[in-house]
Amino acid sequence: MTGTDSTAWKLVSLSPLPGWALALLVVAVAMGVGLAAAGLRAEPSLGRRSVLIGLRTVAAAAALFLLLEPGVRTLQVARVKNRVAVLVDRTASMGLPAGPGAGTRSAAVADALGRIGPGLKALEDRFSVEVLGFEPALAPVSEEILRTAPAAGTRTDLLGVLRALRATDTGGSRKLSGVLLFSDGADNAELQAGMSTRASAELAGLGFPVSTVQVGDSSLLDVALENLKVDDFAFVRNAVAVEVELRVRGLPGRDVPVVLEREGQVLGTKNVHVTGADETTQVSFTFTPDQTGRFVYTLSAPVFPGEAVTENNTRSFVLKVIRDRVRVLLVVGRPSWDERFLRGLLRQDANVDLVSFYILRTSSDDTQTRNPERELSLIPFPMEEIFDAKLSTFDVVIFQNFGHSDPQLSIAQYERKLEQYVANGGALVAIGGDRAFGDGRTSYPILDRALPVDAVGQSASVGPYRLHLTAEGQRHPVTSVLPTGTASLAAWDELPAGSGVNLVRAKPGATVLLDHPGLLVDGKPAPVMALWEHGRGRAMALMTDDSWTWAFTVHRNGDPSRLYDRFWGNALRWLVRDPDLTTLQVSADPPSVEPGTPVGAAVTAREADYQPAAGAEVTVELSNVRDRRVVGTARATTGADGMARVSFPPQPVGAYRVRASARSGERALGEAEDAVAVRTLGPELTDATVRTDLLGALARATGGKAYRLPLQALPDFPLLDPPVVEVGRSRDRPLWDRWEWLGLLVTALGLEWVLRRRFGYV
Amino acid sequence: MVSLQHPMPGPALPRRALLAALSSLLLPRRAQAFGDGSRFVPVVAQHGGHWNARLSGLRRLAWELQRRTSVEVVAEARPLALNARLFDFPFVYFGGEGDFPPLAPAELETLRRYLTYGGFVLADANDGSSGTGFDAAFRREMARLLPASPLQPLPSTHVVFKSFYLLDSAPGRLFTHPQLQAALIGGRAAVLYSQNDLAGAWARDEGGDYAFEVVPGGEAQRELAVRTGINICMYALCLDYKDDAVHLPLILKKRR
Repeated sequence: MTGTDSTAWKLVSLSPLPGWALALLVVAVAMGVGLAAAGLRAEPSLGRRSVLIGLRTVAAAAALFLLLEPGVRTLQVARVKNRVAVLVDRTASMGLPAGPGAGTRSAAVADALGRIGPGLKALEDRFSVEVLGFEPALAPVSEEILRTAPAAGTRTDLLGVLRALRATDTGGSRKLSGVLLFSDGADNAELQAGMSTRASAELAGLGFPVSTVQVGDSSLLDVALENLKVDDFAFVRNAVAVEVELRVRGLPGRDVPVVLEREGQVLGTKNVHVTGADETTQVSFTFTPDQTGRFVYTLSAPVFPGEAVTENNTRSFVLKVIRDRVRVLLVVGRPSWDERFLRGLLRQDANVDLVSFYILRTSSDDTQTRNPERELSLIPFPMEEIFDAKLSTFDVVIFQNFGHSDPQLSIAQYERKLEQYVANGGALVAIGGDRAFGDGRTSYPILDRALPVDAVGQSASVGPYRLHLTAEGQRHPVTSVLPTGTASLAAWDELPAGSGVNLVRAKPGATVLLDHPGLLVDGKPAPVMALWEHGRGRAMALMTDDSWTWAFTVHRNGDPSRLYDRFWGNALRWLVRDPDLTTLQVSADPPSVEPGTPVGAAVTAREADYQPAAGAEVTVELSNVRDRRVVGTARATTGADGMARVSFPPQPVGAYRVRASARSGERALGEAEDAVAVRTLGPELTDATVRTDLLGALARATGGKAYRLPLQALPDFPLLDPPVVEVGRSRDRPLWDRWEWLGLLVTALGLEWVLRRRFGYV
Repeated sequence: MVSLQHPMPGPALPRRALLAALSSLLLPRRAQAFGDGSRFVPVVAQHGGHWNARLSGLRRLAWELQRRTSVEVVAEARPLALNARLFDFPFVYFGGEGDFPPLAPAELETLRRYLTYGGFVLADANDGSSGTGFDAAFRREMARLLPASPLQPLPSTHVVFKSFYLLDSAPGRLFTHPQLQAALIGGRAAVLYSQNDLAGAWARDEGGDYAFEVVPGGEAQRELAVRTGINICMYALCLDYKDDAVHLPLILKKRR
């Protein structure tokens, strides 16, 4: 697009001679004048001398005129209509109030555009005016859009936007003469820390001035949680540190509590006393997750009346709690081969951190020592330390043939702690023997509540028997020692005969995996191995002390067997809820979303033999953890890979749990759950600050000017003049080819000759 | 130089009948584990030589183990051929006097598998030999049995010297070799070998008296030999339990 055309002219030489030849001629003519002047030095009459030199000069000029062949060249020209860009910040911070009690910053820009509209119209005589929004991608925007479509950009990158704008400057009519930038300056990209030397240099090299218009009032009342620092994952039973900055503006002298919650459960509160008008305080929390999985944690500060932004009073994050090594506490009632092979297995497993305590002697044992302290390597049984102070640091507690009544060895006073440990997510294993399951020994009735079996009050049944893998055992991951149920069944059948079992009955809800085929308790086969969930924890009972034969005796004929290793590996993974050992898995995808974004979940269903469950019907519920209300239910059918994906509509800010269940025909494939956070804020809304300094520095670096709202009219902001270019053909009109110029030359030379003769020079 | 501790001497020597009566009174004081297999049974390996010279010593060791520790035992020495039956008993005593013929390949294979999967062998030169007799034969067989795990001296810092009693050495009926030899499999001492006739110090005769003089330390040395036997059994049962970090500070303090 161009401006109005016009005509321009200029003098040019039309001589065909090259420039150097013309220069020689000029020199020759000048020398001719010079020689004439030199020859008249002796002339006493000034008048004569002047007349003769004047005539020679006129003749020389006429000669030059004829030689240079001057002409007039006429040109048709036009002034290019360059661009002026009006940039409007469309990131989320522009949705914040422009000032106390005012409308949004975007609305303030819309008002301003209305007022400067005539001025922009006037500019269109000389420029193409483009009004563009950035979020940060550039797109046309109008006053109406600013009023109706909320600003939603997630990142303010002023330098990036100007770079992108410069990329559209391809010269000619696309050349930029200047930019008028409407923004709050809340940059959260390269200029977040302020104007750097490098950024300033880059801005200066843009090639066009950028004038800024500050949107929003820099004085406001706001409580904001900013710069949250926490890892994406943590190890269970290891302390996790969370740091956040509490920025309080306009509330001097107030106390502001900051609360850390996990899905509605308060983990800690820190009170901050604010003294200044704009004060930032580092707040730290430390907590110890006690369960693996993914959880939504929320930090919050109260909302005060008149706050500019209420959404930044809360910050949510998703923490994945994983296991480092499985920390196992092995408490052994007496050394035995059962203990020896379990210890050997656990010690060689790199994923297990084993802490063990064995009762090597009791008060009735006679060690034949005069000074037991010096002669024995024994240490006191540190019951208080392991069952009280450090109990929660263990993932699994194994009692192996443990049931001492000796006051020095009895754990009666820690029963409740242990039961609570399981109920709160710990794992317990009880292994049989002559001291276990109340077999004529002390029983621990409170701790027994956590176990899946009840002792029947009779002595152990001693005598050889073959283990029987129950139907549940053929499907359960703990006893699935081989890929298929049939193969697992065969592997269990090949084990050496057992020598005895503690007599127990399975509690309602317990799953019996192994039983005694020839021994009935309450009319059912006596359980040899059973497990269940107690509260949030899990427990397993193994009613025999000869499981060591599965590790050792089984090799007597040279047949390889990994059953013992696989069984205990499976058991530990099941006990600690290894996610890979569940037949149904659900994961929020992604684990945290911005407001307005759909919540997705991916479900993987497997059969009991861990093959993908194709065609399984999956139901996924999304519930708010605060009020436990189900906010959405989605159903899907798994594909051949056993996977399905569901999506829920965008949800309000908060923490949610995703619960999935699946069925394959009439058979339930299990349940699983995960957490998802609809995050209160991205980086945009954490800080309501208006960056006056940054906008000023940006304008200065580019040669623009800095303004602030309100604008009553378009300011006279710096713009580069558009260049002028030829738009038509030139036409030459010779000036030299007239007889008058030749006549002048002849007349001047002739008159000079006549006068020279008269004055006696010829 | 051999150093000896001087613990309290053992009780007066009972007659065999008295011992049997005591055993019947003492051992049942505890509930029984599920059959013999779950208890400590001192199995004695039968080989082509004079393998049964110390059966009473093994009985005595089991008795002492029951008396002094919480371990449940079968207080009898159970002779077994080197066949698959061994896999019912993870502890085997392999002793003898004088040379014995080479083990059959099947016996070697069984024994190799036994040790590989967690079995334990306590070897004991009842003749106190060194380079001859039982020692030469046993070393010959060990070279065939575990060529990649040769016998090597066990340092006094090994856990076997603190698995129950705190010991510095391993005397037996004799005290010509203060340290034990061991063949290690994966860091575990699968075979412990004494040239001091450990079981000779434990053995009783038909009359219930100790069967052999203990030299040069007398009854104090006998007590140490019993303690060594107890520690070896504890090591077979508990492996490196006493090397756990929780024990180390206290044990170091006791050893000072």
